[in-house]
Amino acid sequence: MPKKNWVCLLLLLGMALMVFSLAGCGGKDTTAPAAKDKEEIKIGFSISLTGIYAPAAESQMRAYDLWLEQVNKRGGIHLKEYGKSLPVKFVYYDDQSSTDMATRIYEKLVTEDKVDMLLPPWGTTLHFAIAPLAEKFQMPVVGNTACSVKIRELDAKNFWFITSCIPDRQTEALVDLMKAHRNQLKTVAITYVQDLFPRENLQFLEPLLKAAGFEVVLVKDYPIGVSDLSSLMAEIKRLNPDAYLALSYPEDSFLITNQAMEAGLNPKFFLLLVGPSIAAYDAVYGPATEGILTQGHWSPKGGWPGAQDFYNGFVEKYGERPDYLDSALAYVSCEILEQALTKAGSLDREAVRNVIATSEFETINGPIGFTGVENLRMPAMWLQWQQGELEIVWPAETATAKLLIPKPKW
Amino acid sequence: MHMQAYVKPVAIALIMLSLLLVPQFATTYTTSVILNILMWIGLVTSWLILAGFTGYISLGHGAFLGIGAYFVASYWQILPFPILILLSGLICVFVAAVVGYPVLRVKGPYFVILTLGLSEFVKYSLVYYEVNIRGTVGRILLRTPSLENLYYWVLVICLLSIATAYLIKRSRFGLALMSIKDDEDAAEALGVNAALAKWKAFAISAFFPGMIGAVMAMRWTYIDPYTVFNPMMSFQVTITAFLGGIAYVHGPIIGATMLTLLSQSLWARYPNFYMIALGVILIFIVMFLPQGLAGLLSKINVPGFIKDVFKNVSSPERRKEL
Repeated sequence: MPKKNWVCLLLLLGMALMVFSLAGCGGKDTTAPAAKDKEEIKIGFSISLTGIYAPAAESQMRAYDLWLEQVNKRGGIHLKEYGKSLPVKFVYYDDQSSTDMATRIYEKLVTEDKVDMLLPPWGTTLHFAIAPLAEKFQMPVVGNTACSVKIRELDAKNFWFITSCIPDRQTEALVDLMKAHRNQLKTVAITYVQDLFPRENLQFLEPLLKAAGFEVVLVKDYPIGVSDLSSLMAEIKRLNPDAYLALSYPEDSFLITNQAMEAGLNPKFFLLLVGPSIAAYDAVYGPATEGILTQGHWSPKGGWPGAQDFYNGFVEKYGERPDYLDSALAYVSCEILEQALTKAGSLDREAVRNVIATSEFETINGPIGFTGVENLRMPAMWLQWQQGELEIVWPAETATAKLLIPKPKW
Repeated sequence: MHMQAYVKPVAIALIMLSLLLVPQFATTYTTSVILNILMWIGLVTSWLILAGFTGYISLGHGAFLGIGAYFVASYWQILPFPILILLSGLICVFVAAVVGYPVLRVKGPYFVILTLGLSEFVKYSLVYYEVNIRGTVGRILLRTPSLENLYYWVLVICLLSIATAYLIKRSRFGLALMSIKDDEDAAEALGVNAALAKWKAFAISAFFPGMIGAVMAMRWTYIDPYTVFNPMMSFQVTITAFLGGIAYVHGPIIGATMLTLLSQSLWARYPNFYMIALGVILIFIVMFLPQGLAGLLSKINVPGFIKDVFKNVSSPERRKEL
């Protein structure tokens, strides 16, 4: 009996400890002390270390870490309010790829950890989940890895999106690119994975293609996590379209590449929406990537100040190249936050918010400024693999190479 | 009357009072953690109405959460919130009644797999509907109620589910359900309509996750089929139930509180390896406490008030008394 009492006592103790670990249980939310003796700038975010987004979120986390290292090497961010430069410290937690966890984490970051600023989590879903919290706490957040036409539905004054990969804008650019090569492209096959972003792309793409006089010979969907698309590849091969537009995610981009190779599917114009910009893609396929198109609006050769340095710094730190989409976007949102803090000279949320909403920022992806929640300064672009490098092939004013057409056979 | 007689009601009254006051005095984050605990208590307790009493382990409980969330998202700002919550629950009762009729004829591991398959079926049917008929996936919910408002809704639903489980356990209906767990054929031979009893229990247990889903959608503010029909929700319901002890009505209260606080104190400190720590702790608990934490509490000689609070609430010994 006494032995069992001990077990019980231990359990109770453990429980009490955990309750106490919910730090700051007393008192309603208080604002961070605006002390003049501030020693560091705390920036908080949640990251998907586990769960379905974990493989994708690594590109983002690496860019955050690279920026953190660089900014602290520079001595931190100079804030006029304190008359000195303050080093940056990250506070982050694993959101397990769950909206429930992400919302709780951002509440903790703001009300318990009292971070000074926030960075976003990975992906459209989690951006949408935390946008209302940014409003509630009046805390500015520069989003990065999220794209959907739904961003304009958000009633947001403290949330912005950098990317130009918004489905209506980028499909327009794609159809313009295809129109420029109309003599070689008449028929089009489209497949898409059943999720928000690919579906939105289809919604705008199909009418635009038809209006431009292209013949859409196939539109097929398949679920997330599909493990075999060989019959679909065989069907597309039979239809023999000039262009095959796969509105895919990274997982199925690999699957389609494999099975298109096996089927000997060789369209003149071959596009995989998300996937070919990540480092693993060319690591797996090497020279077979030649001619494959994908979405993206950054390249180290884009001519923007700092672009090549970011590329080199990333390769030096991690031993592989950055994801041209997510890593670049994540780094850009850090750059914008840094410049906004410097310009505001303060950690005051309202002051920083106003700077972000009204200023123009110099980034590794060119000049960026916001109209509402959107960055309209950057045109929608398309990338293509050429000679082992991702080149911007559209539009002409930002292009680093001409479109390679027809795509060489596998 | 003996002093001890007052301990239980006083303790319960104190707990209730502090739960009511949480949103007034605690920080946003503490409120959200307690809301989360209440959500899990509600989910697990309602799950026990079928699984705990009859032994039919369902891995489809999370699907009702998803149905509730999607229903409320579809009619948000069209119908008033309290009516939406109630309708979400009723729709889940209806779905459970329709689905349960054939499904509950299947027994043992086949039933477990079938429920998992059914919830995946609901998810992909919804994806098909969204993609091919509505032309988009996911919904943004604007102008949602405050955290404090949602907290009280979840508290009410959670208490309702506990009261329901407690009343069923004490009723003839509960006795019928428990006899199914012991030996379904023998129960039928003694005149228990096992099919009807299981069917009713399944429908009742679906009412609460539907309502909880409706409230939680307002908290998540963006929902899509993949997040609200995440099978991990169903798995965690089952894990929490076993951790707390599935033979006890207060099992879910202990299980959900412990698991939420444990995982929260771990991820907040060790974001990079809390999953491993959590896994190890869970393995230990399952190995050394097969009856769950509630089972441990009922066995040991607890000094003072704790035992009084839980004594006779719902222990298996109670069954012999009935």
